Amino acid sequence: MGEKKLAHRCKAFFSKPSNVLLVIFLAVLFVLSVLPLITMVTNMFTVHIGTEKKILRLQEGAFTWNHFERLFPISDWSVVNFWKPLGNSFVVAIGAGVLGILIGGTVAWFITRSNLRFKKFISAVFVFPYMMPAWTLALFWINVFKNSQVGGGNVGILESMFGICMPEWFVYGLFPMVIVIALHYSPFAYLLIGGILKNMDATLEESATILKAGRMKIIRRITMPIVMPAILSTFLLIFSSGFSSYTVPVFLGSAVKTFTLSTKMRALINAGYQGQGYIIAFVSIALGCFILGLNQWFTGKRKSFTTVTGKSGQVSLVDLKKANLPISLFLCVYVLFFAIAPLISFALESVIRQPGNYSLSNMTLHFWIGTEASAYETGMISGILLNPTMWKALGRQVLLALIVAVIVGTSGMLIGYACVRRRGSRLSRWVESMAFFPYLMPAMAFGTIYLAVATSQHFKFLYGTFGMLILVASIKFLPFASRSGINSMLQISPEIEEAAMVVGVPWWKRMVRIMFPIQKSSILSGYLLPVISVMREVALFTLLVPYARYLLTTMLFSFNETGYSQYGSAVTLLIVLIIILINTLTNKLTGASFDKGIGG
Amino acid sequence: MPHISLEHITKRFGKFVAVDDLNLEIDDRGFITLLGPSGCGKTTTLRMIAGLETPTEGRITIDGDVVFDAAKGINIPPARRDIGFLFQNYALWPHMTVYQNIAFGLENLKWSKADTRKRVDELLALLKIEEFEKRYPSELSGGQQQRVAIARTLAPSPKVLFMDEPLSNLDAKLRQEMRTELKRLHSDTNSTFVYVTHDQLEAMTLSTRVCLMSGGVLQQYDPPLTVYNQPANRFVAEFVGNPTMNFIPADHVSGEGGEAVLRLFGREARFTAREPLAPHGGKLTVGIRPEFLPIAEGGAIQGVAYSTLPSGMETTVKVLADGVMLTSVVFGSVDYAVDEPVRMDVRGDGIVLFDAESGKRVAIGTLAL
Repeated sequence: MGEKKLAHRCKAFFSKPSNVLLVIFLAVLFVLSVLPLITMVTNMFTVHIGTEKKILRLQEGAFTWNHFERLFPISDWSVVNFWKPLGNSFVVAIGAGVLGILIGGTVAWFITRSNLRFKKFISAVFVFPYMMPAWTLALFWINVFKNSQVGGGNVGILESMFGICMPEWFVYGLFPMVIVIALHYSPFAYLLIGGILKNMDATLEESATILKAGRMKIIRRITMPIVMPAILSTFLLIFSSGFSSYTVPVFLGSAVKTFTLSTKMRALINAGYQGQGYIIAFVSIALGCFILGLNQWFTGKRKSFTTVTGKSGQVSLVDLKKANLPISLFLCVYVLFFAIAPLISFALESVIRQPGNYSLSNMTLHFWIGTEASAYETGMISGILLNPTMWKALGRQVLLALIVAVIVGTSGMLIGYACVRRRGSRLSRWVESMAFFPYLMPAMAFGTIYLAVATSQHFKFLYGTFGMLILVASIKFLPFASRSGINSMLQISPEIEEAAMVVGVPWWKRMVRIMFPIQKSSILSGYLLPVISVMREVALFTLLVPYARYLLTTMLFSFNETGYSQYGSAVTLLIVLIIILINTLTNKLTGASFDKGIGG
Repeated sequence: MPHISLEHITKRFGKFVAVDDLNLEIDDRGFITLLGPSGCGKTTTLRMIAGLETPTEGRITIDGDVVFDAAKGINIPPARRDIGFLFQNYALWPHMTVYQNIAFGLENLKWSKADTRKRVDELLALLKIEEFEKRYPSELSGGQQQRVAIARTLAPSPKVLFMDEPLSNLDAKLRQEMRTELKRLHSDTNSTFVYVTHDQLEAMTLSTRVCLMSGGVLQQYDPPLTVYNQPANRFVAEFVGNPTMNFIPADHVSGEGGEAVLRLFGREARFTAREPLAPHGGKLTVGIRPEFLPIAEGGAIQGVAYSTLPSGMETTVKVLADGVMLTSVVFGSVDYAVDEPVRMDVRGDGIVLFDAESGKRVAIGTLAL
């Protein structure tokens, strides 16, 4: 009897498509994100072939505490390889968080709460740097400020035009890292804070006005406390992004040997200290989890609120009076500068023969369209547009982006559906948090985990394959897709599906004909986001590609690391243009956009 | 003594005219409702008097002081107009406790701690929310939040109180209860209330005068019963009263001055007006309130029962007569079978004639079929 009962219950359980989906995703996510993590943890205690084996004089795969013993207790080695990079990471993350919020928050306030001019333009162009890869701003910084006194001694735009040499701390190291990461993430802060400011019920401020509170008092006592949870969580998100940023510290730190945790992780692994690299990866992941917990604690407090939406369309805007035009113009110039100037600098850098000499006679299109023959004279490879390696790398990256987008977009949608339908159940909670889990892992650490898997005995066949890259990218970019899937499903009342259920429409048809069309725009952005993310991702792939010129982004890094900065600039420009093209195309075709502005 | 006057107030949002040339005198200690369908400009009007919105043209005076004058460029900010404003969604500050919410306005007036404490306690008692003093708004029910919002608005004892659909987020029973309390509050606080609503029943039961608006234009500004009994036009007649007034198309056959012969339901009827008929185009609409259209054996109008809606104390009967759907209200519970033949009569001296084209009232009087 009992067995029969169980069988019936199972049947009832699996007759619901949402349950089937949840079980499938639970299994897949467990295998693809939890198991690798466990593999990585075991790798923190084992001896690896190569350097470790030689130093420790132990069998490969043997258990050891040595990685911890070398990394954590204070010593010259641990300070250089762990404590100093850790401190640097904190400085960069905190600095970028604060500065990013200052910039983004200020612009958000002007756009949503004042009668600033050219709002539409400023809003659209301001988010532009967020769409570009973070390292484009880093490269731009170097292009402008590098000079004969510091780093490699190459002459940059500023020195060659005005003869100004900025000091080393300004050009390389922590200071520019903070600035660049802050600039990159300030649009993110702008979107989040601006969204809150825009949706915040204006009557909350108006009622304070009527009760005779002054403008400053309203900002201090009403507006700030209400947007504070949003500001804090924005800070934490920028903090964790800054903490795990890999590309920016590589560009801005390598020349002066300033390491952060992510760049150190790679350096250690490359130098054969895998065990310690994995430990650092684990530290980053643990920190990510801690940050998320902190974030939930901030946003889940008693004072937090569900806004009763009112007639918030009727916001009375602050009159900037005489300051209006100067502020508007300043912001226009500011956003234009960071949107256009980097592109110009890349174009410029990609056509000069001798770095640092910007005269017309030094210009050449070799790096774009030079042939193998002309390349021979200069001792270089052919221009990137005639280079089959480049085209193959580009093709692979685009293919990867498309495949990952299909996988991630579809999974996100289905996870959204299944989790919302079974909301409140333990299964749904597990799947939801597991799908979000990869977000906590810095891309570099995530790549490291999969490296650990791919170099382990049973999974050697994965190493260096295209399938591996698909797998990693799909899991890594799933969190946003599943979040947006869940959010958009929550907007739809179950009655809409139930109405179709009652008349006997099968599940797949309900999905294809009802649920998906309703959420069209959010689903499309669920597909668009992974495309752009893959197109600009480096850190995730850098350890996993079979060779450096396998993908366009990793190729760019190898160009820069080997001193072919002109090729690097050309490839960067190419990547940025492709991203813009994808975004514009999707926007024109479907109305979905990466940079859904809040202004105007 | 706060007397509010609006002169030629116009508000345009781009090309859209929200309020068009509005003139309004609000008496001291009045309870005025701005009534109308959504989008008629009532909220905009209220916000303009409060200073939250700037009119495009016109002049507003509160208590003899000009608070807004488009021609002279005067625009006193809301904080200096000495008013209170109760928002539809309460607009309680989520990060402050009930006490802090109520005390905030007094704090801005630089009241001492002790005085603030005393006044807040007074209000907590008045609105029966003493036990929630330390709670945050998110921990209160809709009705409790509403009371806190009222307390906060009343705390500085404003002379004029503006309310923007304050009861629309409450359930029916609570709304009834709060209506009673608001009316009581009005006489207790001795101040002028200006109240926005789209609920005609609320306007009828609460106010001393109703200002009915439509499409940004003032339709009628009178005491509620005047609006009910002597509607200025068909829109007013239709908007006020539940069930709605009956409208029957009619032709003017003959007669001038106080007497006229009309043709309706295919027969002639004699209309005796209280005052001479206003000039009109010949096509008329007869407006009869349901209570003036009783169901009676041997009545003049022949129809069939379409449906019967008993509600206990009274019964609404829908009758189809000559292609026109008529509504009658009968005291007590009656029941008619569907399509049962029914006869109706017209009685009373509150029958209203409208010009069919312009919708303007032509006359009020009795109708003999």
